[in-house]
Amino acid sequence: MHSLTRFWVTLLMALGWAFSSLAQAQTEPLPKREGIPGREEAPGLNTLPPLPEDLPGWFNNKGKNHIFYKRGPYNFDIYNIKRLAYDLNAVAVGHSMAYEDMVTGKAAGLDTETFERINWVLNHPPKFMPDEANVSPTFGRKYGVLELVFDWTHILHAQTVDVLASTKLSEAEKDREIQALWKFYFESVPYAISPLPMNMAFLDGQPYSMAFRNKYPKVNGLFWGYHWLQGAMYDMLLSKTLPQQRMIYDVLGDRYHAIELYRTNRPFMPMFAETSPRFSEKYPYIANAFDNLHMLHDMVNDILASDWIPEPEKEKQILRAIWIASATAHQGERPGDVKEEGGLHDHRHMVGMPGMGMMKYATEDVMWMDNMGWMPTGDCHHCTMPLPEGEEAWKAPTVSAQGWTMRVRCPLCARDMAAETKGAVIFHIPTEDPLKPVVIISDEQGNLTTDNPGVLFLEEAASHRKCNRWSSAFSSRKAFEEYVATNPEFKDAKPLSFEEWAAVEVSGKKPDTYVKPEGPEGNPYDKAQDDETQAQKEEE
Amino acid sequence: MKNRLVGKIWLGALAILLAFAPARSGRAHEAKCPHCEADVAQDTPEQDNEVALKYGKKRIEYRCVMCAIADAEKSYKGDLKILAPSEKKGKPVEISRIEGKWSAPESTVFIGHKIKHRYCERGYRAFTTMAAFTVHVEKNKAQLKGAKPITLAEIVQIAKSDVVEDKKEK
Repeated sequence: MHSLTRFWVTLLMALGWAFSSLAQAQTEPLPKREGIPGREEAPGLNTLPPLPEDLPGWFNNKGKNHIFYKRGPYNFDIYNIKRLAYDLNAVAVGHSMAYEDMVTGKAAGLDTETFERINWVLNHPPKFMPDEANVSPTFGRKYGVLELVFDWTHILHAQTVDVLASTKLSEAEKDREIQALWKFYFESVPYAISPLPMNMAFLDGQPYSMAFRNKYPKVNGLFWGYHWLQGAMYDMLLSKTLPQQRMIYDVLGDRYHAIELYRTNRPFMPMFAETSPRFSEKYPYIANAFDNLHMLHDMVNDILASDWIPEPEKEKQILRAIWIASATAHQGERPGDVKEEGGLHDHRHMVGMPGMGMMKYATEDVMWMDNMGWMPTGDCHHCTMPLPEGEEAWKAPTVSAQGWTMRVRCPLCARDMAAETKGAVIFHIPTEDPLKPVVIISDEQGNLTTDNPGVLFLEEAASHRKCNRWSSAFSSRKAFEEYVATNPEFKDAKPLSFEEWAAVEVSGKKPDTYVKPEGPEGNPYDKAQDDETQAQKEEE
Repeated sequence: MKNRLVGKIWLGALAILLAFAPARSGRAHEAKCPHCEADVAQDTPEQDNEVALKYGKKRIEYRCVMCAIADAEKSYKGDLKILAPSEKKGKPVEISRIEGKWSAPESTVFIGHKIKHRYCERGYRAFTTMAAFTVHVEKNKAQLKGAKPITLAEIVQIAKSDVVEDKKEK
């Protein structure tokens, strides 16, 4: 092309682009951004990432394609714990009601009328599981494939819970069946969610992220409240007898209805490893899939709540969100792989917790926890000594209180941590036998009760460097004596009965091994906190 | 041969040193205050700062005595004790609430001076005597200018109004 002609063509194109942009800016002012706090302007459509071009054919599926449970004698055994089963039935309507209202022009009433309707169901749970497709027919017609993806993972949710609540299967059979369920889920149809740890900062860092929680905090609180229940119930059920499961749900269920459903101040959605660390350690691929599913729910909510995104683009972004979370998008990738740090293919997990992707603002071994600050994921939350991993992981007791469940290194760490925490506490204390853990409940005043009053304890307090050796629980006198015989340093130790062990009052002394977990300064979720830190620096 | 022997002696000495070395420096638990959600101020070699509320067998730590009293009013039914650090290291003032009635040793005075939250362990404290109060105010005169001693009843009242404010915010 002649150079002069090229000059004029380029100039005309540039002018044309500039005028069209100007005209668009004058006629269509950008709406306010509902997403990232502090940003007033909508991000603009050009910030939305494109839909991958080569999506598999099933992404266009809008037809009915009901899929159902794998056969098993355990199906619906969650009704052994009726109160929990009913609460889970109620959960099924929450998202559906909200989705239906959002796609039928009723979004304005989401935090009022819709909230009231969902809340009523949560407090008057149906006796049988409702079909979500009947609650959100318009949404289903529009986003059929999304509903299939949700349904398919909800079935895995329901069946794994049924297995854990079953009284017909042994622990070994339960373990085998959970793995078989995973295989069935992962291989039968293409709708599986990725079992890999995903980078939460990436998933929650899309141009539309956080729109829903900022715009509809009460309904979002309900969603995250029942996501909390869906996480917390797994450690409650894992390796427990039916009486233990019921005993725990008396405490957990009360907290769910009184507090967790109505919290609007969570910095992030509840993660499986925060609420069920034992299950997440044992079945990381399932915990990751459930977290990724919950994140997909959040992404869809955020897209639908972003008024600056036109309808056709919303449909594309929802398909992209499904793609991001799908197993299909991550074929051939493995936990720990990092193709792009902080991106879609960042599959690192938190240290000591294969069932949790890198958290937002986290370093590899500490994450910010609400009301707790920076907490280590691989160390005892009381004495900071490393927790057992892999085959030995079951030996770590857990303490559940205030909505979190944390792993500790020994029964003494559990008891002291519980005594230093407000409110009711649930302890899971393993004995020498993985099949005979002890459940202990602390009331508001720290009085302890157990399902197994015959349990015995060794407690020969010394440095916490070896607390997993000098503080242990035993299911019988024989087991205690065998331990002492093989550990001569405790040959003079007397076993403590449950009453004696429970009567020991916390001294308030800090474990000698405790080291404050260090993370980035301040609460990363709280901009106000950062401003305060800046002010302090200036003052100094 | 000699070198090997020296090496062994060094290794032995190192092993003994490691065996008797203390564990990582024992830094205190640094949880969030259940009332104000700020970090619990830690004890220093010169001054105790950690406030403990004892409720049955529970022992919950707070950032300052005002937070502990406020949370006692808000969250706990029944009898309880608060161990409020005083001017004397290791000798907290024991404040009790028995059948709803608050009490503390007779000569106890408090400071309840509104101050930036990061310094609230200076602005809200217990003292075993009036003289100790005066020394504390003098030592922190830039921040505590004009601070007056208050009674237990008065600090309980301040704490109750904080609970009212806390509820309003929610």
